[in-house]
Amino acid sequence: MESVIKLHNVSVSYLQSRKGIHSIKDFILKASFIAPFQKHRVLHHIDLDIKKGDSVGILGPNGSGKSTLLRTIAGIIHPEEGTLQTHVRISPLLALGAGIELELSGYENMRIALALSGNYSKATRTEMMEKVSDFAELTNEQLRMPTKMYSTGMLARLSFSSVMTANPELLMIDEVLAVGDRGFQKKCMNRIHEIIENGATLLFVSHSPGEVEEICKRGICLKDGKKIFDGTSTKAAVVYNKLFD
Amino acid sequence: MLGNRKYIIFFLIYKNLQLKYKHSALGFLWSLLHPFLYLLIFLTIFSHAFPSIQNYPLYVLSGLVFWIYFSGGTSALCLVFIKNAFLIKSFNIPKTFYPLTELGGELISFLLGLIPFMVIMYFMGLHITLNLLYLIPVILLFSIFIFSVGLILGSLNVFFRDVGILWNTINPAMFYLSPIAYPANMVPERFKFIVQYNPLYHFLKIIRNVFYDGTAPSLHYMVNCFVITTVTALIAFLIYRKIRNGFISNL
Repeated sequence: MESVIKLHNVSVSYLQSRKGIHSIKDFILKASFIAPFQKHRVLHHIDLDIKKGDSVGILGPNGSGKSTLLRTIAGIIHPEEGTLQTHVRISPLLALGAGIELELSGYENMRIALALSGNYSKATRTEMMEKVSDFAELTNEQLRMPTKMYSTGMLARLSFSSVMTANPELLMIDEVLAVGDRGFQKKCMNRIHEIIENGATLLFVSHSPGEVEEICKRGICLKDGKKIFDGTSTKAAVVYNKLFD
Repeated sequence: MLGNRKYIIFFLIYKNLQLKYKHSALGFLWSLLHPFLYLLIFLTIFSHAFPSIQNYPLYVLSGLVFWIYFSGGTSALCLVFIKNAFLIKSFNIPKTFYPLTELGGELISFLLGLIPFMVIMYFMGLHITLNLLYLIPVILLFSIFIFSVGLILGSLNVFFRDVGILWNTINPAMFYLSPIAYPANMVPERFKFIVQYNPLYHFLKIIRNVFYDGTAPSLHYMVNCFVITTVTALIAFLIYRKIRNGFISNL
């Protein structure tokens, strides 16, 4: 199988304000004129080779770099060291509340999400809008409300549906399933399986080893920004569970 | 992907305009009310204060509409990265798109607002000549200047959240430091430098050349504005390039 994503020795650092300086006031009071920013390394020398059609679960404690890894692959963050090659159409990252403008209605948000995920003809877009509202199971009335009135679950439904209907080549999911109700979770799982069967590649961040085992064949475990395990999802779940023993 | 980008830019502008006037019954009319209110204040209170200015209403209005574009544009850009945090974190599109499209929206409102005000200006004695075409380069240059100032503010605001507060304080002060409602030669000689080192002074000169004098912009001030814009853009670019990679962790 051909590689669609290849990370070689990738390290990512964030620029952080030093000593908790978040305002000019702090900046002057704490007199750290020399270097207001410092680097904080979040991912250390990650090597990763993902083949077409792989379904990869990413497990790890909070703050271990899971979301950063997804964002790096999505091209939103640039690695400080190492090389990243992607040979796949990158679709928007699916994270909670990602890309949702709370002042706009569900329909308007949907239109934006579709616009950002690909260049479709007007007819296709109308068709996709219908599919999205069907999948999200949101009523016409709900979709006309500003999304700030939505519950967390409804927001997840909206963003999830917008990405899922776009037939992505690479699907990246960052802990969004947890907030939907049981029925919607099931529906999403089915859709994810469908997308994988159609040959798409999946990167799935979750805190539930069970879910990872269910959806993914391969599992990766991260801790403190380092890859500590890469193998089958069942073994990854064991490694993950051991972290908390 | 590139064809798609054009579409994304269009969409973000559309979104900005939609958001701007979404929850207001008067919508776009609000953006006209602001300069109009100020105009009325200046006309009633200061109309006899500056006898040296011929046609004071036109003098004020020509400065005022451009000032509002500047002040609104920079304030909007100051918040642009913070406001779009979710989008920045989830879509792989260049981060410069956000300020670009934000200013695009402001520019459209400004141009639309210019139409009724030019009608008013016509009755105030605006010369309708081909010289008005000089507005195109003037507005273009002014927009690049606003974009650069806004990019500096917006980038720094991600790390130091009080940059926005600071700008809201400086912004009105700059209004009074710029010769918008008063003539520049009124300023006492020893304080003249304050006016002359104000970039807006130079822009107001070329704006008034076109609107108030009905001539072409003076070459001297045009060059000044060009230099000011280039230097500001360069600074903006350097600051932005230095800290853009830190945006995501600080948003």
